[in-house]
Amino acid sequence: MTRFIARRLLLAIPTLFGVLVVAFLLLYVAPGDPVEAMVGERADSATIARLRAELHVDDPLPQRFAHYVSRVAVGDLGRSYITNRPITQDIRERFPKTLQLAGAAMLLATVLGITLGVLSARRPGGLADRFALGIAYLGISFPVYWVGLLLILLFAVTLRWLPPSGYGSLRFLVLPALTLGMRSIAFLARMTRSAMLEALNADFVRTARAKGLGEWVVTLKHALRNALIPVITVLGLDFGAYLTGSILTETIFSWPGIGRYVVNAISRRDLPAIQGTVLFLSTVFVVVNLITDLAYAKADPRVSYD
Amino acid sequence: MEDERPPIVLLVAVALCLAACGSPGAPSRHEIIDSRDNYDPRSLDPALSTDVPTGRAVGYVFDGLTRFTPDARVEPNLAERWDVTPDGLRYTFHLRRGVAFQDGRPFSARTVIRSWQRALEPATKSGAASFLFPIAGARDFNGGKAASISGLAAPDDSTLVVTLGEPLAIFTKMMAMPVASVVPDSVPANFGEHPIGTGPWKLVEWKHDDYLLFAKNPSYFGGAPKTDTLRARIIAEPSTAVAEYESGNVDILQIPAAEASDWMEDESRKPMLMSTPALELVYIGINTTRGPLVDPRVRQAINYAIDVNRIIERLIGGRGTRAAGVVPPALGGYDSTRKPYPYDPAKAKQLLAAAGHPNGIDIELWTSTTPIYLRIAETVQAYLNAVGIRAKIVQRESAAARGAARKGQTDMILKDWYADYPDAEDFLYPLLHSANKGVGGNVSFYSNARFDSLVTASRHELDETKRNGLYRQADSLAFADAPMVFLYFYNELYAVQPWIKHFVPPVIFNGQRWLDVTIATPKP
Repeated sequence: MTRFIARRLLLAIPTLFGVLVVAFLLLYVAPGDPVEAMVGERADSATIARLRAELHVDDPLPQRFAHYVSRVAVGDLGRSYITNRPITQDIRERFPKTLQLAGAAMLLATVLGITLGVLSARRPGGLADRFALGIAYLGISFPVYWVGLLLILLFAVTLRWLPPSGYGSLRFLVLPALTLGMRSIAFLARMTRSAMLEALNADFVRTARAKGLGEWVVTLKHALRNALIPVITVLGLDFGAYLTGSILTETIFSWPGIGRYVVNAISRRDLPAIQGTVLFLSTVFVVVNLITDLAYAKADPRVSYD
Repeated sequence: MEDERPPIVLLVAVALCLAACGSPGAPSRHEIIDSRDNYDPRSLDPALSTDVPTGRAVGYVFDGLTRFTPDARVEPNLAERWDVTPDGLRYTFHLRRGVAFQDGRPFSARTVIRSWQRALEPATKSGAASFLFPIAGARDFNGGKAASISGLAAPDDSTLVVTLGEPLAIFTKMMAMPVASVVPDSVPANFGEHPIGTGPWKLVEWKHDDYLLFAKNPSYFGGAPKTDTLRARIIAEPSTAVAEYESGNVDILQIPAAEASDWMEDESRKPMLMSTPALELVYIGINTTRGPLVDPRVRQAINYAIDVNRIIERLIGGRGTRAAGVVPPALGGYDSTRKPYPYDPAKAKQLLAAAGHPNGIDIELWTSTTPIYLRIAETVQAYLNAVGIRAKIVQRESAAARGAARKGQTDMILKDWYADYPDAEDFLYPLLHSANKGVGGNVSFYSNARFDSLVTASRHELDETKRNGLYRQADSLAFADAPMVFLYFYNELYAVQPWIKHFVPPVIFNGQRWLDVTIATPKP
């Protein structure tokens, strides 16, 4: 197991290097210029020239890349062109908030999604199944933006149960987490349902029932565990996606996370901020994938990495 | 197949919700909450201020020698009064005595000199330092060619003598800009995060992308603000800001242009609305050096081809004053007798034919990704097409579009221009003077010697009446040459909660510092 983890982490280094190369090249060919954003509308050509020289934006690409990689290798992501703050500090401030939101969304998705899926599978076509189907409908077909605004309108503006936006106590977390998790709830419910239906018809379930085990024990202990592999895959992928920036949700709910940070950085061509965040988020994705793979082994003893 | 039903429950919920939106009662807080910022200020270091959220916040914490009132007049601030020599070259500022920074350090004439030196030092990486270039020797100091700024002298602690490179009538207005704010002598590297000024508000807490919290400075020389704290929330999505306003969580809301008519037609919301002429010109810069656009007749034809009144009425809820020149109605030098180009497609075709383009022309119309501008661009495209001008829309992010326009790569670009300080000069000079082609703001690459000399003369003219006369002449000249499509001056619409008293919407971005604004106590 340890060897497996070590090997995966080592393999991540060339992956991340590749990500950096691509990010660098993309930013190089994209139109726009960080100095444009620094000087504002009314500028002066001498100021622009001086800033360009100071930021080395006109140096040859390989030289800039080599310089950047050498800094990254010692853990320095540089300072933002626009705010002059260290990128690592910016990420440190924002990522925990994104993590909190993604975690809450995944928690909701896991609890609600799997529960709905299990209930649906126990009596296909029943009331629970139809309800779950309705939820799945909404979650998959409604755009995040719309869901978010509707939730704000209903729970914040009309009912005044929850704050419309912002970051703070647990009450601030509910609506954005629900908005973000909606799609996962829907997906997981459908995924769990079909995996459960298959498992419930399998021979080992009949055997379990024949042994005289209770219906809930059969469902949860025998069927669900076997249905979990595809569910974990979905969970892992969604979690990775949420962690790397739930841009729309963060924007609607004024959630000060990493998604909004990276969008702002892109619109201002703040190269160190974009590159630093891309690198950091790629690392996060690699780690989440690794954890997902390890979870397979935990859920299914037949999967082994030794 | 399974039984599939539409989510009726949800639709009902939405309908209920839309019907039930009521207005909340007065809050019990002693904090003003502003929702106008839609992105995080870049820094609270005045030297780095080139955008509105930053400039606004800098104005809370810092002072300049002068400041703007909400209706955009200049008034004394750290300077109590000033004298100007008749040649307009030397300003003697008599500074307030006994002013201290928020950390207790004293303010003096030498602090002003060091503040401006700091803004001009290359290491500060200020993008706005060029606003200080009128001071003699500032440009050389900025370029590393001089060790000090020759035009600055402090004969004593409360006198500052500023010598300009050439006369500049609007110099005292520039002194109210964020970049000219006065900062303490030695500032730490993280000054942008922990600013200390002499201003009415102290920064207490800055949660990036969330809010900035300010507390009143009880020893402010102009009298402490009447409310304890001020919170500037950063709300990226306009619909969210509206929801926060509807919930009573924010006090001031800037209503997006596209939603203005909904608010103005709603009887229950009407009493909360306040309007102010923003010093914002929305226009289409026509590059006067590219292809057929070199001919003024073609540029006039473009102006005749577009029904601007209809655009104002239909797309921005009537929130614009039709432009007949670049000087806004709120400023001296505006000429109310000048008539805008009327909508006359026949005349447009005639002018095109006279210019040798009976079959029309092909051009590119650039725009940013801002939804309202895209809609205007599409409308303009349709109008132009009707007279044979085939415009192709090129959509880019605003910084990228602006960059291309500055390099002269755009035929036409739809954009806006916000005043840095309230003076006609801040429209005529950057937008159309040949010294500012490209990066300076003149994306029309307009060059007219007569216009240049009028604007230059107006910059030198200290007499306001004469200066306004020069502004009018210059504006008329450019209007006839049509280096742009003159669209409109936007009139900002605010919603202000009924419990907020004495708020006056600012004409210029840093013209409202919340000193007199109070919150009425809730009813028992």
